[in-house]
Amino acid sequence: MEKRSPLATFGLYAAAISACAILLFPIYWMIVTALQPATNLRSYPPQFWPAAPQWNVFGDILAKHPYAMWFMNSILIALATMIMSLAVSILAAYALSRFRLKGGTGLGLFILTSKMLPATLMIIPLFAIFKSVGLVGSLWSVVIAQATLIVPFCTWMLKGYFDTIPPELEQAALVDGCSPLGTIFRIVLPVAAPGLAATALYAFVVSWSDFLFGRTFLTTNDENWTLQMGIASLKGEFVTEWNVIMAGSLMASVPIIIVYLFLERFLVGGLAAGSEK
Amino acid sequence: MSDTSTQRQGRSLAGLIPSIDFSAPRHRAKFGYLLLAPAVLLMAGIIVYPILLSVNISLQDVRIARVGATGEPWTLKNYAWLFGSSEFWHAIWVTFKLVAVVGGLSVVIGFATAMLVNQKFRGRTAVRLFVALPWAVPEVVATVIWAWMLDSSFGVVNWSLLKLGFVAEPIQFASNPGAAFAAVCFVMIWKGYPLMSIMLLAGLQSIPEEQIQAAKVDGAGPWQRFFYITMPNMLPVVGVTLVMTTLWVFRDFAIIHVLTQGGPIGATTTLSILTFEQSFEFFRMGQGATVGVITMIFCAIISRALVGRMAKSVH
Repeated sequence: MEKRSPLATFGLYAAAISACAILLFPIYWMIVTALQPATNLRSYPPQFWPAAPQWNVFGDILAKHPYAMWFMNSILIALATMIMSLAVSILAAYALSRFRLKGGTGLGLFILTSKMLPATLMIIPLFAIFKSVGLVGSLWSVVIAQATLIVPFCTWMLKGYFDTIPPELEQAALVDGCSPLGTIFRIVLPVAAPGLAATALYAFVVSWSDFLFGRTFLTTNDENWTLQMGIASLKGEFVTEWNVIMAGSLMASVPIIIVYLFLERFLVGGLAAGSEK
Repeated sequence: MSDTSTQRQGRSLAGLIPSIDFSAPRHRAKFGYLLLAPAVLLMAGIIVYPILLSVNISLQDVRIARVGATGEPWTLKNYAWLFGSSEFWHAIWVTFKLVAVVGGLSVVIGFATAMLVNQKFRGRTAVRLFVALPWAVPEVVATVIWAWMLDSSFGVVNWSLLKLGFVAEPIQFASNPGAAFAAVCFVMIWKGYPLMSIMLLAGLQSIPEEQIQAAKVDGAGPWQRFFYITMPNMLPVVGVTLVMTTLWVFRDFAIIHVLTQGGPIGATTTLSILTFEQSFEFFRMGQGATVGVITMIFCAIISRALVGRMAKSVH
């Protein structure tokens, strides 16, 4: 590593700081707006620092809108999607990684391709199917619909992680009398924990962020809505109260940002596939 | 040896399926198929069957699709409507325009970000964490933040543009077709560049250090190193990220629907928005499915490039 000149060092830090500032400004602006009194938002020039933060906006949104219900629904859907998708994907990914099965390659390709299906097309037949079995309006409809996108990708991601684990470990466990299913849960999964965490994070983030499936299957009653639908509906109201919308958005992104901050290194590591030095 | 085999027998008897010993070599494959079964059944039920159903719906003159009811007779009416309608051709034009702008700009921003965080400096880990943060922000949240920033009366973007003297009066991002299109691009680039920069960073890190060192020894300057070493090494990665962004723009719904609802006068109506509009706003699911099927064919063609590359890693 050669030494950098002081000017180059300064330039590097300046570039890094301004990149962060520009790219993160929208998130900062969401926080500042949420804390401003509504009257300040209709004045020029805009205030870049909340002089008198209004914390009661968070209480207001809970009182005026079924926000708690939306939050609960989003959590339930994201957790159910995550658990269901992981359960199915772990088994399939393990099979694709360890066994030379007839049709395994074809299935792998199919899994890859189905990640690229347009969701706006899928909702038409899914709507017809859910309608016929009475699932429209139920949170399960969203969980099942999300599996169409999440299961293929999770399987693909997990197969990548399993491929990096040497099969000798499992063979040793089998010889020692561990059952085949037991080797998956006792040997493979603990070793693949970082990859598992990244895949779980991916499933949770995608599910939490869903708007299309909720908007299509849960429209009937606003108590059934997810957070994303609720926030979108606040924007559509006649008088747009931006501080309320931003407070709602902030609360909807905090859980996901916390999860992201904790698990980022696993996810980036997974996408970068071991190229970190 | 006989010890372990009886032990194995005992284990499997106590296990999930008592009759077959899956640890025996000749039953290994059966165990593999058993593990695949839930995924295969699930995908048959929620992916394959719905795709077939949607092709079926696109061939029927139906308003609200149903399962089980005796279907309408097959007809090519929807496809005739599609290829004769100016809306469809306009949606294709908008989609490709969006792909070009969002793909082009986010590859530039993503590449610049990746080059920056690939340098060694203190706090690099934190910077890496922060620049990828928009990836985790839900699309609807990203969209409402930008809608507020781009507000025509009190938005911070218009305020700074006025202040800096770039415009004489506020830009009407909601009602001006060109400005609305730009607004969609802003949100998509902001939401889309992080994943791009993560993938490009991974690509940068996989360039062999020896090549760069050798070029330095031979006296190549930073620009020469960039054009003769970095770029050729990065082209495949850039290709993959571009294909992924293209597919994302083709399929995205939430950003455009929440920001502009496809308006004004169809300026931001992509194929995805048109599919949804036909099916769930005008309740012409036959026509909606037709647009969707065409979109799927586009996506399949585009993803061939990607799948071909990834298929090599299937083994």
